[in-house]
Amino acid sequence: MRTRSVALAGLMTLATTGAAETPQYGGTLDVGTVVVTLSALSWDPLDWTWKSNHDYGMVREQLFAGNLDKSVRKGGHYSFHAEAYLPSEVMRGELAERWVWEDDRTLAVHLRRGVMFTGKPGVMERRELTAHDVVFSFEYVDGSPKKAQADYWGYLDAVEARDDYTVVFRFNQYNAEWPYRYGYGFQSAISPRELAEVDAKDWRNVVGTGPFTLANYIQGHVQAYERNPDYWDTETVGGERYLIPFVDEVKYRIIKDEATFLTAIRTAKIDILESIRWIAVDHLKETTPELQWARWLSTTGNFVALRMDQPPFDDVRVRRALNLAVNQREIVDLFYGGHAELMAYPQHPEFGGYFQPLDEMPESVQELFEYKPARARELLEEAGAPEGFSFKVQVCTCSPANMDLIPLLDSYLAEVGVRMEIEPMEYASFLSRMTTLTHGPGYFMNNGHTNPTTSIRKFIRGHKWNPALYADAGFDADIDRLMQMRDEKDRIALTRKLTVKLLEEAPSIWLPTVYNYIAWWPWVKNYGGELRAGAVRPGPIYARLWIDQEMKRSMGFD
Amino acid sequence: MYAYLMRRLLALVPTLFFASLIVFISMRLIPGDVIDLMLAQNDITTGQDRARIEAALGLDQPVYVQYFRWIGGVLTGDLGSSLWQNVPVTEQLGATLPITFELGLLSLIVALTVALPIGVYSAIRQDTAGDYVARSFSLLMLAVPGFWLGTLVMVFPSVWWRWAPELEYTPFLEDPLANLAHMIVPAILLGLSMSAVTMRMTRTMMLEVLRQDYIRTARAKGVGEWLLIARHALRNGLIPVVTLIGLQAPLLIGGAVIFEQIFVVPGVGLLLLEAVFQRDYPVVSGVFLVVGVGVLLINLLVDISYGWLDPKVRRQ
Amino acid sequence: MTEAVLNPVPPALAPSGAAGRLFAFLRRLVREKPLGAAGGAIFLVFLFCGIFADFLAPYGMNETNLEDRLQPPSLEYPLGTDHLGRDVLSRILIGAKLSMIVSFLAAGIGTVVSLVIGVLSGYLGGKTDMILQRGVDAWMTFPDLVLLIVIISVVGPGIPQIVIVLGLLYGIAGSRIVRGAVVSVKESMYTHAAQSIGARTLHILVRHIVPNVMPVLIVLFTTRIGAVILTEAGLSFLGLGVPPPEPTWGAMLSGTGRTYMYLGPWLALAPGLCLTIVVYAINVYGDALRDLLDPRMRGSR
Repeated sequence: MRTRSVALAGLMTLATTGAAETPQYGGTLDVGTVVVTLSALSWDPLDWTWKSNHDYGMVREQLFAGNLDKSVRKGGHYSFHAEAYLPSEVMRGELAERWVWEDDRTLAVHLRRGVMFTGKPGVMERRELTAHDVVFSFEYVDGSPKKAQADYWGYLDAVEARDDYTVVFRFNQYNAEWPYRYGYGFQSAISPRELAEVDAKDWRNVVGTGPFTLANYIQGHVQAYERNPDYWDTETVGGERYLIPFVDEVKYRIIKDEATFLTAIRTAKIDILESIRWIAVDHLKETTPELQWARWLSTTGNFVALRMDQPPFDDVRVRRALNLAVNQREIVDLFYGGHAELMAYPQHPEFGGYFQPLDEMPESVQELFEYKPARARELLEEAGAPEGFSFKVQVCTCSPANMDLIPLLDSYLAEVGVRMEIEPMEYASFLSRMTTLTHGPGYFMNNGHTNPTTSIRKFIRGHKWNPALYADAGFDADIDRLMQMRDEKDRIALTRKLTVKLLEEAPSIWLPTVYNYIAWWPWVKNYGGELRAGAVRPGPIYARLWIDQEMKRSMGFD
Repeated sequence: MYAYLMRRLLALVPTLFFASLIVFISMRLIPGDVIDLMLAQNDITTGQDRARIEAALGLDQPVYVQYFRWIGGVLTGDLGSSLWQNVPVTEQLGATLPITFELGLLSLIVALTVALPIGVYSAIRQDTAGDYVARSFSLLMLAVPGFWLGTLVMVFPSVWWRWAPELEYTPFLEDPLANLAHMIVPAILLGLSMSAVTMRMTRTMMLEVLRQDYIRTARAKGVGEWLLIARHALRNGLIPVVTLIGLQAPLLIGGAVIFEQIFVVPGVGLLLLEAVFQRDYPVVSGVFLVVGVGVLLINLLVDISYGWLDPKVRRQ
Repeated sequence: MTEAVLNPVPPALAPSGAAGRLFAFLRRLVREKPLGAAGGAIFLVFLFCGIFADFLAPYGMNETNLEDRLQPPSLEYPLGTDHLGRDVLSRILIGAKLSMIVSFLAAGIGTVVSLVIGVLSGYLGGKTDMILQRGVDAWMTFPDLVLLIVIISVVGPGIPQIVIVLGLLYGIAGSRIVRGAVVSVKESMYTHAAQSIGARTLHILVRHIVPNVMPVLIVLFTTRIGAVILTEAGLSFLGLGVPPPEPTWGAMLSGTGRTYMYLGPWLALAPGLCLTIVVYAINVYGDALRDLLDPRMRGSR
């Protein structure tokens, strides 16, 4: 495994040196994205679907985005792999030119001038973006019947247009997640006011200020984006500034079957594939040595939630015992072939200071990731279950990895006398068990990291994504405090403390987090496997890469 | 004839009504409804959010109200709209059905091209080694699971020769060659897997026809063996094969789902599969209804053409 | 009137005594249909493996051993091991048992359903026949896989669900063939003769009708077994088959077989070959049965 990561680092350097070449315009980029199997769920911001930014974020811009000059490839330190997190030093204004706290409760966002909506027949004329569009876009999603959480923007009293270029956010209390909740987050896309007058569900009516326009959409097959020649932003390469985007067309190719999308990258029918399981990597490298590689640590935590509201898992000793009985190290080394991290949840290693490595954590946490079946048996005996017990676990058939892992977990637990009754379920039914609280006592799932504070916020009482039903009044109060802390240093300290508390109380059997791989053909330039420059939003990344068409031809592809 | 047609068409009505009722209600009995999936998109929710979305989608009404509203729409050509995409189901069907239809048609051509010669040959050389080999090939294609055959064709040429079938759909009218380049591989595989049944049928019919008196008479008159087969036997043997096309229609559409998935064909099978997983009720009901009507109509057409081809049946 | 006159038994079954009839049939099968006989023999091997799977399997079906994961075939593991270090041979054998349970139960239910609907419809005729046949029409309208996708997503994946759904599916589809057979037996003079003697309906059904449609049922049952195995595999591919860790061949092939086709090709080879060979064997055997037992059915699906 060690040699493999060295080889990988070598490839990364190669890719970096490529960036100094002169950019080229033109060509089509075919991408199998992180969610290559999944078509757009909706084109209407009203629908509050989680992957909208991924799809219409190519066209619609936001107030903030990631500054890709801070990427590892360009000499910075950020990977742009996290699902919905931008460290403050990596966040830049996109439609916002600058933003000022006028007082504790008033944030003024000054918009970039001269940014144009592309215009579209039947929707609107080409015109300049104004603060009124931002206010409209906010009110549009805020007033949606599908709005997920009534108090999602409860910390805001109002969003107003002071003049054409200034948007004022009036806070009633500080909220640490403000740039995420309305800025670079899931529901923050800026649309023109004219959207209210047309059928917003229709993909033909998607209009924005972004680097691309939506040219074609075949549900479950392709989403084609064309270059917006009028786009305002630029990219600096080798000291020169270039208008972007470089490519004429980007196509998201939707491919359901794994064998098919692996074939597609192997035969260069797609230029980039972002969702490769480690299992396929060695063979792909063997058959297609030209491919460039990067890897990313999964942005979902993997665990078996143990329902703490009922016996036997209301006893922390039982929950810890189950953790001790599972050999996570062996899962990393053998089941995942070394392509995994032992502990990367609830905090993700890409979360900077918020993430505390396992070896810096207290012994009470470290122990849980060790394999101590004897100690586990002792704990079970202390808890009054020396004979062990058996419990029901739901698992989703939608996750091949979990379906594979669960017989293994069962055989670990069997050694301390605990048996699982495995209940495989199809996604919708599986999910509904959790939302209706009819799941458990065990529930084997993946839960998104999102960002540092959101990740632990999911453990408050009544949160829908809290399958262990973790309930601690002190914890809830701390989360409230966390959300109101202005100083990031304080937030980091408290987040670390709460993360340790969660880990050691073991509301779940904690499991390793797997690496996924990204492969791309060498003619894709100015790219190093960055995934998201906002919440699930790759638009700014694809706008900045170019295709060396000469190289592509010389390698036998046209 | 018209009376017969009307009777057949009328007989379809209760059939479809019954089927639509089952589909409509059963989809709503599945654990895990669309609201759960929609709520799971996001961060936190409370009970009141659920009610709000239900109301927004019209799912707060009793099931029978929803059903009658739907069936009322159906009668005016409105199948409702996708709960997720919010586009009319008729629009989605209009986009996907022709593609599956094309795939089915191409497969049928492949199936007949393979099955007829093998079937005829097998009949003439009944119980010889040649018969066994020819039949075995056809049956083998039936015995290999379609998804496995598809996977092999998808993966190994790409590993050995860096070749893969085209994976991007182009409408036929836009560029027929590009369209065929994409459709031909799944069509061949689907056609091969369907060929066994047709082959079997052709062989049996040929065997029976060859035993008929008039063939024997013709043979006695010294008509050449192949001419005999072409002119007399095959033409009569073909009639039941036409019937078989009707029987194959539902199989084709069902079998297409797997090949659509592997070969990235944006047809009605994929639409249905995704709609089932996303609990997109109107889409599932709509696909079911339209596919059902389609199959019934094909069968009707086949029956009519059958009667038209064969004077004996016409008299009945 | 002797029994031989009442029962127009096909020549294959003519000699009296069950053992004698079976022997005569087998002799004819081997002599006239060697391919079908070979298929039948393979089918018997499969049955044997399924029945004695628990004794034959060297390891447990879920006995994991990560140290020995993804081992190619060897003396210790004749068919290699999978990604969890489970013995593939053992899983194939247990898979044969599961395939047998699923296919025999589903084909059994299917045959009974076919018989009941076919006999009711064919023997009673009139209104009953009309109503039943419209129901069958409705059912047959929908593509098998489409029906399965919808029904399995309603009831959830699992062995009992799949058995019942497949049984119903094939049962209703097959009822038409049984009905045809019943009608032709009913029309035959022998039944008229029995009716004129004053035999009761039930008596006629049990003594005359059912024995005469028996060959049809045997052929239906046999071919359905192959169809069920294949359909379960297709459902596995779509994520609606018998869920793991139960090792059905379909699930092994479409799941780990496809995922690990690069790291461990033997993971796909074993279940893939077994599945194909068994389905092929059942088909040729079924064809031979059809030819020998019941000429009326030749070519039907």
